[in-house]
Amino acid sequence: MNGLPIDLHLAWESLPALFDGLKMTAILTALPLLFGLALAFPIGFARMSDRRWLAFLAEAFVTFFRGAPLLILLYLVYYGLGQIEALRKGPFWILFGSPFGCAIVALSFNHAAYMVEVLRGSLLAVPHGIVEASEALGISRRNVFIWVKMPLAIRYGLKAYQNEVVSFIKGTAIVSVVTITDLTAVANSIFEQTYDPFTPILCAAAFYWAFVNLVRIGFDLWGRWLNRHNAEDVAADAVAPGRGPSLRPASDLKQVTP
Amino acid sequence: MTNLSLADLAGYMRQLGEGALITLELFAASFTLAFAFGVLIGIVTLSRSRIVQAVWRVYASIFMGVPSLLVIFLTFYGGSAMLAAVFGEFSARIDVSPFGAGVTAFTVVYAAYIAELVRGAIGNLPKGQFEGARALAIPPVIMWGKVILPQVMRLALPGLVNVWSFMLKETPLVSLAGLQDLVAAAKISAGATKEPFIFFIATAFVFIAFSAVSFKLATWLEIRLDRGHRREAAVRSPSGAAA
Repeated sequence: MNGLPIDLHLAWESLPALFDGLKMTAILTALPLLFGLALAFPIGFARMSDRRWLAFLAEAFVTFFRGAPLLILLYLVYYGLGQIEALRKGPFWILFGSPFGCAIVALSFNHAAYMVEVLRGSLLAVPHGIVEASEALGISRRNVFIWVKMPLAIRYGLKAYQNEVVSFIKGTAIVSVVTITDLTAVANSIFEQTYDPFTPILCAAAFYWAFVNLVRIGFDLWGRWLNRHNAEDVAADAVAPGRGPSLRPASDLKQVTP
Repeated sequence: MTNLSLADLAGYMRQLGEGALITLELFAASFTLAFAFGVLIGIVTLSRSRIVQAVWRVYASIFMGVPSLLVIFLTFYGGSAMLAAVFGEFSARIDVSPFGAGVTAFTVVYAAYIAELVRGAIGNLPKGQFEGARALAIPPVIMWGKVILPQVMRLALPGLVNVWSFMLKETPLVSLAGLQDLVAAAKISAGATKEPFIFFIATAFVFIAFSAVSFKLATWLEIRLDRGHRREAAVRSPSGAAA
């Protein structure tokens, strides 16, 4: 009855390996976040396009890469794409030939599909009147998008973006199935060597927890910085906690997506 | 293109079907338990007690900040040791099945998310609902069952649908602990036939179809749970409001 037995000596010894795993997890988070975001913009525009076929294609992309579990996407890219002769001979084989490349592709597409929805939701939340006013002032459409719509959309979509990033980080734990030694894989291999089920997994869990919460804090700071112009309102809210406006519940509920 | 005979294909399809059934069972069991515990935890943590709040905060923070895969591994590898620690030596020989480990892990993780949703929804209910129930001397069980929770469900539904679809997409993780579910069956078939593309695409579409069906269900449920609120709007055509 001494609770969970954690072998401190083993934990200390496996620290360097766990840090290496964390580094890999961080890389596998950062790169797909970048590529996914870059992909999300064109696909998001296509999704909102007036051309029916373009919108349909983008929607099909989103439905597939959001609806299929990440594990299957990973298997599909890693095992499935190697089956295609043309790809194996083509220049992209450098990418699809390595587990790392496959993981990056699968994760990026998955993230992109989620980001399309985040982007669309936050762009649609921008009040129409502001856009019309900007157009009436003769600001070009490109500048309206960059300087009027996007800054607002980022503020509206920040919480959803944070949720997606956090659940994405947790999702990267599966890349060990394609032989990448990320944090989970390191913990697993230590378990296989020592048959200690608690120490390595709990240590890895602590690493993930710290990583996820660092990202959360980063997003909180970013959000506070973006909303610094109404910091006084927030302070006033904190002093007098009452029922928020009727729009509050929906946004509050969206905060807890896994 | 394919080197599969029709008989082979039928055999593999049966295997995939059996796997899909296991995935579905795992999902149903996990979601039901997570929902029950989540609602319970959501209600219990309304208590102002500092200890309850502290325990809740630690629990939620841990399981919302750690990948489900690690929780599955922990319950699978460490499950029997944990059971032995809790129930004493006589249960030391209990082996944890992948299915049991998966259900336990998903229940623990997703109960936290659902509890958070329920807490948020209860917080957003008008205080008058509680005060009215108390003024009418409605006993607590009936107050929760007939007054508060139905309204909570209406408010929490969008979040619950989110949790539902997330959980569905995480069920394949249990195959990594050795559960012979849909994804494991697809992987075996893909390896045996050297046709990974077909099998994994088919598996992906099973999941997509299941989420499509559940979204339809969610829309229906939303209309149904909203019926009390739409009555004011649709008072002139009462039959139209019935869902």
